[in-house]
Amino acid sequence: MSDSQFGNETAVPIRKSKVLQRNRDPKLGLKVTLGFIVALIFISPIIWMLFVSIKPNGFSTTEPLEWFLPPYTFYNYVDIMFGSLIFRWLFNSLIVAVITTALTLLITSLAAFAISQMKFRFKNFIFIFFLLGLMIPGEATIIPLYEVAKSLGLIDTYAGLILPMIASPLGVIILKSFFDNVPKEVVESAIIDGCSYFKLFYKIVLPLAKPALSAIGIFTFIGSWNNFLWPYLSIMSETLYTLPVGLPVFNATYSQAYVQPMTANAIASIPVIIAFLIFEKQIVKGISFTGIKG
Amino acid sequence: MIKKQWVHDVKAIPFLLPFFIAYMIFTIFPIFKGLEMSLYDWTLVRKLEFVGLENYIKMFTDRHFWRTLWNTTLFVILTTPTMVLLALGLALLSNLNTKLKTFFRGSFFIPSILSVSVISFLMIFMLQPYNGLVNNVIQMFGIEAEPKWMADQGLAWVTIVVVTLWWTVGFNMILFLAALQDIPESLYEASEIDGASRWDMFRYITLPQLIPIGRVILLLQILASYKVFAQILLITGGGPGGATRPLIQYIYEVGFNQNNLGYAATMSYALFFILLILSIIQLKSQRSGEN
Repeated sequence: MSDSQFGNETAVPIRKSKVLQRNRDPKLGLKVTLGFIVALIFISPIIWMLFVSIKPNGFSTTEPLEWFLPPYTFYNYVDIMFGSLIFRWLFNSLIVAVITTALTLLITSLAAFAISQMKFRFKNFIFIFFLLGLMIPGEATIIPLYEVAKSLGLIDTYAGLILPMIASPLGVIILKSFFDNVPKEVVESAIIDGCSYFKLFYKIVLPLAKPALSAIGIFTFIGSWNNFLWPYLSIMSETLYTLPVGLPVFNATYSQAYVQPMTANAIASIPVIIAFLIFEKQIVKGISFTGIKG
Repeated sequence: MIKKQWVHDVKAIPFLLPFFIAYMIFTIFPIFKGLEMSLYDWTLVRKLEFVGLENYIKMFTDRHFWRTLWNTTLFVILTTPTMVLLALGLALLSNLNTKLKTFFRGSFFIPSILSVSVISFLMIFMLQPYNGLVNNVIQMFGIEAEPKWMADQGLAWVTIVVVTLWWTVGFNMILFLAALQDIPESLYEASEIDGASRWDMFRYITLPQLIPIGRVILLLQILASYKVFAQILLITGGGPGGATRPLIQYIYEVGFNQNNLGYAATMSYALFFILLILSIIQLKSQRSGEN
């Protein structure tokens, strides 16, 4: 798209004496080595965590390399999954993240569809009203949100973890701009054929917005999975904790033992690490998309 | 085919209503609820009596409020420039012409998908004196030192800043990387013909092309950093002696430990206005950047 902008470059005369050799950077080897070292530093805490989680119970050392050497055991995983509340918290995190993601996608895409494709009064006003939400920081309204949730009986419930998180203005904006690109002829011919708006929505428009839906879905899921402040305020019962709230409670009972806390951390991290490895491309694309738009 | 307008209006309602209800209850209404709460003596159990502007007067003379607001601001000052520079550096490394670039990008990004609780406890255990991994690695290189990463005031800030950079830089790195890859190759080719060195290209092509996204990252970063809370709470607990305690932690403590939701809501309002002004600036500059 920027080609046209710089199209006049072809007008620059090519001097014969100069050979194009941009791909040969004399310092490339040095830069790659630097990159490799920095990359290792970045992932070393995560790798260390995974190695500690498979060390025998009670292991500790002051020799850095010994953390990574055998003997290994997976007993800690079994022990923690069945002998603590971690499995319950994992389940809570998962169920909350899945439902939050599903509901967010549902309500934001419905609203975005109406704003993009339907002709009703005060449309611009409503859209701007939704846009205002972008400027309202959740952290700064969390004390009154607690009061609101309390009066609705949502404190210490799954619904209380989910419902306040689903009205995402950014989701509406991104989806609206996607729906706007659906060809007019497609929409008009469907309407002339007697297609209802609901059918048009889920049969034609939604499938076309898959890239946007998956980007929003992935970010909503990761956001919910890692959400700390709201579950920390709104959940009192240990059995309803999500992993981010439960882990500190679990870890605080170990100050010198390494193996159990790191196993618990690994259990909380492995699902998102796997999800990242599978969806890396969509995540990277989604960030450059939502980051700039948002 | 001309239908009455109200038919269109009615048809749109089922599409708009679910979002509208959730948005009104959980996003808009709390703003007004917060205003009401800030005017009352309000406990965790119920509202007590109307106190007018008393909470606001208290806020302006509360040294803990100013101290924690300053701590949050200090965090913003320390993390923002370092974050932008580090993100740029990592993006340049991930953009090198090598087979390892996917590995680079993945390694730089992966900490940011981990939960704040995970990264905090990972760091607590790695940074412990005497048998923490970091001190042992330092000693492996022959340096006889036993830094107390979380107990010393200066080091506690270093810890918080470095951990935050490590944890969140990936997101900004990806934004820079996308912008780097959008720079037309023809610009470099043309400058090559004119005999530009690699440094010239970086200085006169790459950097100017990155300025718009750099500005977005800078403002997003300031906005995000003002909301800092969880990693400080979990790693230093706001210590030593309140030296790293951020505003949101103080709001939480006033509301839930001191049982004073009214005053907590008042201070939330102060934070709300700081963030509101910052996000208006952000949206404005983004719009002018697009034009």
